[in-house]
Amino acid sequence: MRWIIIIIVLLGFQKTHGQELFVVTDPASNVPANSLAVNIMQSSFKEKFEKGYNYHLMPEVTYGLSKNLMFRGSAFISNRNNQLYAEGGSLMAKYRFYSMDDLNSHFRLAAYGRYSFNRADIHQEQVEILGHNTGFETGIIATKLVKKLAISTTVSYEKAFDNRPQYDFPSNFGDNATNYTLSFGRLMYPKKYTSFKQTNINIMVEFVGQTINENGKTFFDIVPAIQFIFNSQVRIDLAYRKELYSSMLRTAPNGVYFNLYYTFFNLKKRNDNGK
Amino acid sequence: MKNNKFNKIRLIFTLILLISATVSNAQISKIELRATGLTCSMCSNAIFKQLESISEVDSVETDLNTNTFIVFLKKGNTINPKTFKEKVEKAGFFIGVFIVTALPEILDQSIYILIDGKPKKQAEIKFQVLDKGYVTEKEFKKLAKTYKDIATYSTNNENDFHIKILN
Repeated sequence: MRWIIIIIVLLGFQKTHGQELFVVTDPASNVPANSLAVNIMQSSFKEKFEKGYNYHLMPEVTYGLSKNLMFRGSAFISNRNNQLYAEGGSLMAKYRFYSMDDLNSHFRLAAYGRYSFNRADIHQEQVEILGHNTGFETGIIATKLVKKLAISTTVSYEKAFDNRPQYDFPSNFGDNATNYTLSFGRLMYPKKYTSFKQTNINIMVEFVGQTINENGKTFFDIVPAIQFIFNSQVRIDLAYRKELYSSMLRTAPNGVYFNLYYTFFNLKKRNDNGK
Repeated sequence: MKNNKFNKIRLIFTLILLISATVSNAQISKIELRATGLTCSMCSNAIFKQLESISEVDSVETDLNTNTFIVFLKKGNTINPKTFKEKVEKAGFFIGVFIVTALPEILDQSIYILIDGKPKKQAEIKFQVLDKGYVTEKEFKKLAKTYKDIATYSTNNENDFHIKILN
């Protein structure tokens, strides 16, 4: 626990710009209107009860419809059955409904909803509609930038259904849960900006928890991450997820994430004779 | 003889320049805006791309440390501040400071309402837009008290701009 506190303290005292482009959670801010972000998310988690790693490939497309509303579509591919298998997909919408911006700070609130389907076997008590369960999730996000430190928190309700056609949700598991997250982010480099071409390096730490509503079973994870942004357009995340506490059955709680992000700005080109 | 021809060409050029200057009456030549609520160069880039997409824009200079954008506009444009506000907000951010450099004739347009300062006789005037959405929210709360007697200011009409002369 001590090094977690050290990380938080370090984050708090760095005098650089904050960041909120988190790895496992979303900030209240959206992608710019009329822009498309493509994300190839890969994760490899160590199996707890058998040998090997559980690999997930999650391609994701995010589109900003207006300044306040964005949509995201994801596909879930995994190697749980020893070969790559398309297990399901997901649709998400996020609406930013409050913004209070100042020169070096902002506070924003957003609401989101997500529906996912999945046809894989159900093998753990953790409810996870991103790549494991069929179900929906709805929640509220609050993101604050205080003195150049970005802090974001999410509370959500998540409910799982049967993974059709083959796998029913086990009746001895609780099928709905409350999720809560807390994320911190910091820009480490550059200390002073000179151009859009400069590589930015961010460090972040995220805390992710879930409690099954029926039986109170809970897990709590920490996700430290390092992030590189090239040319103000390409983003690479490297993160490690570690279980800190769990009273529920999880088959592969610890592992790594590797994300590759690219933003296409201004999809609809200018419709006149501009340069 | 040669010199004479050269002089003629110069005269024609000068005339063309003069004509184009009178045609491009009341235009804005430069906008300096400071964006609020952003934290990263990727966010600045989103604003930069939005500003660049405006057809009347000639070029955009950026100071990433202060999130200030200096936008140079093409001659003969008829653009007004609303376009910039919409573009910055499309990128997901807001305007904190908005300063216009323009020919003095711009004040003849009824959309600009002078509420602070007096224009002096000079080639170009510089003014700040004080309406909601062109200053920070904190600043707007202060200004709303200061200008509570100006009826048009408190109505927040998006199509008129209350300005303060800076030079």
